[in-house]
Amino acid sequence: MALSKTAHIVTAYGEELDQLADELARMGGLVETQLETAIAAIVRRDSTLVQAVRDREKQVNQMQVDVEKRVLRLFALRQPLATDLRMTISALKISTDLERVGDLAKNIAYRAKDLSEYPALALIDRVERLGAIVIKQLHEVLDALSSFEIEPAIRVWRTDDEVDERYNALVREMLVSMGENSGLVEPGVHILFVAKNLERIGDHATNIAEALHFMVTATPLEADSPPPA
Amino acid sequence: MQMRPDRTDDQPSIRIRRRDTAAVAALGSFVLLLFWMFGELGFVETVVAITTIAALSTFYYLTVSTTLNPAPRPDRAAMPYAQPNGEVSAQRMLEGLPIPVLLIGPGGRIEMANPAAREFLGLGSATGHLSAVLRQPQVLEAVSAALRGNAVDPVEYSLMAPVESHVRAYVAPLAAAGDATIPWRAMLVLSDETSIKRADRMRADFLANASHELRTPLASLAGFIETLRGHARDDAEARERFLNIMFDQTERMQRLINDLLSLSRVEMDEHVAPSGEADLVSLVEDVTAFLRPQLQEKAIDLVVDMPDEARAVGDRDQLTEVVLNLVENAIKYSPDGSAIRISVSEPLSRDEAERPRMTLGETASRLTLAAPSSEPSDRYIAVRVQDGGKGIERRNLPRLSERFYRVDGQKSGPKEGTGLGLAIVKHIVNRHRGGFTVESALGEGSVFSVFLPVRGRTQKAVGEAAP
Repeated sequence: MALSKTAHIVTAYGEELDQLADELARMGGLVETQLETAIAAIVRRDSTLVQAVRDREKQVNQMQVDVEKRVLRLFALRQPLATDLRMTISALKISTDLERVGDLAKNIAYRAKDLSEYPALALIDRVERLGAIVIKQLHEVLDALSSFEIEPAIRVWRTDDEVDERYNALVREMLVSMGENSGLVEPGVHILFVAKNLERIGDHATNIAEALHFMVTATPLEADSPPPA
Repeated sequence: MQMRPDRTDDQPSIRIRRRDTAAVAALGSFVLLLFWMFGELGFVETVVAITTIAALSTFYYLTVSTTLNPAPRPDRAAMPYAQPNGEVSAQRMLEGLPIPVLLIGPGGRIEMANPAAREFLGLGSATGHLSAVLRQPQVLEAVSAALRGNAVDPVEYSLMAPVESHVRAYVAPLAAAGDATIPWRAMLVLSDETSIKRADRMRADFLANASHELRTPLASLAGFIETLRGHARDDAEARERFLNIMFDQTERMQRLINDLLSLSRVEMDEHVAPSGEADLVSLVEDVTAFLRPQLQEKAIDLVVDMPDEARAVGDRDQLTEVVLNLVENAIKYSPDGSAIRISVSEPLSRDEAERPRMTLGETASRLTLAAPSSEPSDRYIAVRVQDGGKGIERRNLPRLSERFYRVDGQKSGPKEGTGLGLAIVKHIVNRHRGGFTVESALGEGSVFSVFLPVRGRTQKAVGEAAP
């Protein structure tokens, strides 16, 4: 908003940039819903939610294509420069990341179907907690994307370590219980993949944070970036 | 009502008074002039007198309108009556509405948002695309449909981050009146249903708890019956023992059901304040007499400190239940051979009743579990029950009046309580527009106090106490 609001002599140009931001936000909301639904499907062992995820997945892909088209159009017609250039490029990157998050969420949801055939696992609450953190990460980075604020983005970027830690702890525990009880191997593998996908989604959230940081400040987000207040 | 002219100067009564003033002043001056002409008055005297008359009448002439119509008084009847301006009033109403309302223009841009909506969505003064603040795909789809002029059903959505919340969004298309070339707009109304969902979940939790509490004794009954039918059929000793346990279990179920029933009864008429009066002193005497056997069984000393009479507004049966619950709890949690102190106070002010000097020393913490909304003149009688138990940690105090809550996982064994006692006390006290406090120190014991209003000069209806 703040960036695209910078007045352009050609109002249509400004509007196009505005619409790009709007499309990106819509896509983000869609992906966020996908992730929430997928985690709910796993945690509540509700495989009826899978169909809803499958339906929306097509929409996510379509939106990515739309964003790409709009970016191409902007390049071809307006030759964006400086802020506008960074915004257009970042939008392209972010849409790719969001599309990947959508794919991963879909994969998670598909696991719900397989998992519902096994008895409930005690470890599922760890998955729920990991999922809650990843949802929060994605939510915050998308909020930051809407408001063009970099502090929350940096915070998301730093919190990724927590996601990794939780993921590693979950894997260790799962492996131990699979070793003790071979009956847990099959559902355990599904859980491991779910956790892996969640961890990947966390990484994509940090990618988005990096792209946003570059878009706003024109510098890459690095370990020595000023810590969030 | 009669239309009054806007300009007060044009009122007939004022005009008449002004005319009279002018006439009297002119006549007076004329007479004075005559006196002067005939040599009755000196020149200076005449001029002074005429000036005085002129000044006075001018003053009166100017102020007559404000004397008759004290203008600054905001008197509705005297104010010019005007039809409310529809648009302005609608705008003001919208601003004051505590419900988030947004107007979405073409392209999904927020054209207007009332303060409630700005607060709800964390929207600054800037306006932009709705998608920047509300990314929910279903809502955005509904808004797009409304912008094409289609009617849409309400949409529900939940947010998991940053805090869990459940919202229902109502979307309606708005057409520009009579002009088809102006594009459709959409009205978006958000209704926060988080508290409803939470209440729903609490009810489900309560049901689950209650059935769990009932299932445990039931399962043990079924087990014993099975054993009695099977290999214990001919074992007289075991039969006797099993029957005793079974009796305990049925008693426990009975207690639980009684408590549940009395809780729902109390809740049912919680909003109706009781009208009778009860003497708390005789009530405490009755309760302690009733509990004498239990006191003797644990060799607990009872120290009672009461005036001769203490009448409070209330329903005697319910207040008996309150005192009975508190004293029973005290007996339950006091070790053998300790002492329980019960005191009934003289009428006290609200503050003295709610926050008396700590009885349990420096380390004690205190919490109000139920508090009435009271007037400064209200007087209360406080009943305090102090036990010799091991005390309750500060962090556990707020949960004491929760249903089925037991401090630090006490077992719900056959002799233990139902977990509903303090919840019942709280609801009864709420109904009596009284208060309920607990003071506790680890290792020292706990003091549970209730304070109940005394009939004063005015018994006003008192607002709902906190649930």
